[in-house]
Amino acid sequence: MTTVNAITALIAKDIRLFFRNQFFAVTTVLGLVAYVAIYFLLPAEANDGLQVAVYLENPAATQVDESFAAFFDYTLFDSPTALETALREDGEYIVGLLISAADAAAMSAGEAATVEALYAPNIPAETRQVYDDLLRLMVNAATPRAAARFALVDESAVVLGNDLLGAPIAVRDRMVPMLLLFILSVEVLGLATLITQEVEKGTARALLTSPLRLPHFLAAKALMGLLLAFVQLLLLVAITGKITAAPLLLTATLLLGSFLIVGVGFLIAAISRDSMAVLAWGMLVIVLFAIPAIAVLLPGLASAWIELIPSYFLVDALHRILHFGAGWGEVGGTLLALLVSGAALLLLGSALLRRRFI
Amino acid sequence: MTQPAISAHDLTYSYGDNLAVDHVSFDVAPGEIFALLGPNGAGKSTLVRLLTGQVTPSEGSAAILGMDVVRQRKAVQAQIGVSFENTNLYEQMSAVENLDLFARLYGLRRSDGDFEPLALLEKVGLAGRERERVAGYSKGMKQRLMLARALVSRPRILFLDEPTDGLDPVSSQTIHGIIRESVAAGTTVFLTTHDMVEADKLSDRVAFINRGRIVALDTPARLKRQYGQRALRVELEQPDGATVVRELPLDGAETAEAIYDLLRQERVLTVHSEEATLEDIFIDITGRGLQA
Repeated sequence: MTTVNAITALIAKDIRLFFRNQFFAVTTVLGLVAYVAIYFLLPAEANDGLQVAVYLENPAATQVDESFAAFFDYTLFDSPTALETALREDGEYIVGLLISAADAAAMSAGEAATVEALYAPNIPAETRQVYDDLLRLMVNAATPRAAARFALVDESAVVLGNDLLGAPIAVRDRMVPMLLLFILSVEVLGLATLITQEVEKGTARALLTSPLRLPHFLAAKALMGLLLAFVQLLLLVAITGKITAAPLLLTATLLLGSFLIVGVGFLIAAISRDSMAVLAWGMLVIVLFAIPAIAVLLPGLASAWIELIPSYFLVDALHRILHFGAGWGEVGGTLLALLVSGAALLLLGSALLRRRFI
Repeated sequence: MTQPAISAHDLTYSYGDNLAVDHVSFDVAPGEIFALLGPNGAGKSTLVRLLTGQVTPSEGSAAILGMDVVRQRKAVQAQIGVSFENTNLYEQMSAVENLDLFARLYGLRRSDGDFEPLALLEKVGLAGRERERVAGYSKGMKQRLMLARALVSRPRILFLDEPTDGLDPVSSQTIHGIIRESVAAGTTVFLTTHDMVEADKLSDRVAFINRGRIVALDTPARLKRQYGQRALRVELEQPDGATVVRELPLDGAETAEAIYDLLRQERVLTVHSEEATLEDIFIDITGRGLQA
C-alpha cells in the first residue's frame, strides 16, 4: 500500500459520503447558490447620501428649496400625511422635515426658525441624535445668517485609515466575508460530523486494523476538509468576480482560511461524543466566527477583543484585499497569524483526536 | 517446531482499575480454528483488540506469525483480517464500494487482478445485492459483508469477533461454511463467541475466558471428558402405562449392571446417550453461565 494511494482512497470515500448525507449535500450546493443569489440581489452601489423627506407649507418658498438642494438630497411631499406615510412605509427615508410657511419665511430672511423633524419607526436613539445634529447644521448652513456665522470657523478633517469618501463599499461587497464564513461554517460541521461518525460507528476501528496508520487517516480527513472548503470559497469569489482583485493573494488567503477551518473541525470532532455534540459546538463556533464579519458589515461596532477570534485574521485580510486593494506587504502579517492559528488548532485537534482512537 | 500463527505471553490490559485481560498466555497453530468462549464482558473483544494491534497491552506481549503486534503493527495488520462484533460498515456505500475501499488500503486493485469483489460477494451469498447501499441490508447480510471485508486481503489469520451473534440459523450456517472454507485454504481462525454450540461445532480448540483470565484450554472433546460426565437417558413405560425417565452415569462401575436390570425388569421406550455441553463445563469451572 502506498500512503498516497490510501489517502486518495479515503478522500474519495469521504467526499462520496459527504454528498450522500442529504443535509450536507443540500446545505453545500443550495448554500452556494443562495450565497451567490444574495450577493447579486443586494445593491451593487452604496448610497450613503442623506435622503430627507420635506414638506413645505408654502410651496412658493423657493429660496428655502434652493438652499436645501445645495446641502442634501430631498424629496418634496404634498402634505404632512403623505410625508408621514412615506416615513412609515417606504423604508427609503429615515427623517422628514415639516416647515411651516412662517418658518420658511423666517429662514429665507436669515432669522431663527423652528423646523419639526419626523423620524421613521424604530430608529435607534443614537442614530436619531446623529441625524438631529446633522440636520441642525444643514438647516443653519442653508440660511444666509447662519452660513455667515459658520464661515467664521475654519474646518479641517483628517481621516485615520482608509478614506471612504467618494468610494463607499456597497452592502453586497461588505457581505462577502460573511458569505465566505457561512460556507466555512457548513464545512466545519461536515468535517467534524464525518470524523465523529467514524468513531461512533466503529468504521475508524475497521480502517485502523488494515495497514492504514492513524496519521494517514487524519491527513486524509484534513485534506478532504481543505479541498471541499477551498473549492467552494474559490467558486464564490470567482462567480462574484472578486477573484480579479488580487488572484494569487486571494487564493492564498482562502486556502489559509480553509486550513483554519480544518483545524476547527478537528477540534470540534475531538471534543464531541456524537453528532448532536458536533452540532452544539459547531453552532457556538459559527456564532463566534461570524462576529468579525459582522464588524465589517457594520463598521464602528466592534470591540478590540474580536481580534482574539481566529476568524478575525481571515476576515480582516479579505476586507483589506477586496475593499482597499491591500497587497502581500500589507496583509502578510495577518496571513501569518491566520496560518499560525490554523496550525495551532489542527495540532491541538489532532492530539485530542489521537486519544479517541488509541 | 512450527512457528505459532498466534502467540500470547502474559498479555494484560486494563481500563483504569478494571483488569480486562489478565496475564493471558496461549499459542494457536497455523490452520487451527481457535475459539475463545466466555460471557459478555469476560474480555474476549479486548483480547482481539490486543492481538490485532488496536490497543497496546499494559503488560506482556503478543505475536502474529512471529511478528510483535506492537512493534511490527503494520506488518501484522497486512497479514490479518478482522470481523467485528458490532456492524461497522459504511452504510451509505454499496457492498462493492466497501470492499473496494479496503482493497485499496491493502494496495490491491481490481485492474491488476488482485481482488475480485463480485466473487467474494458471491462467496458470502450477497451476489445480486452488490450495488445496493448497505443501510438496506439485514443484520445477517451485514455480518456476511463484514466477513467478506475481512477476507479482502486473503489474510493468513482471520479474527472473528462474535461472527454469528444475533443471526438466524441459515445465516449462521453460511458463515460457518465460509470459515471452514477459509481454514481448508490454510487460514488460521481466531473466533470469539458466547455460543457454545458454535464453538463446539467449529473449533479445534476452545479456551474459556472468565473475568479476563483463561480458565481452561483444550479440544472440546477433551474438555468434555475432563470436566463433564457422560450419561445414558432411558425412557421407560411402567405397568400402569405411565412413562418415567431415568439417567444413568455412563462411566460408573455399576453402569452395565444397571442397564441390564432396566432392560430385564421394565419396558424401555427410548435410550439416549448424553454428554456435558461446553456451557455445562463453563458453569462447572467458573460458577457462572455464558449468557451472563
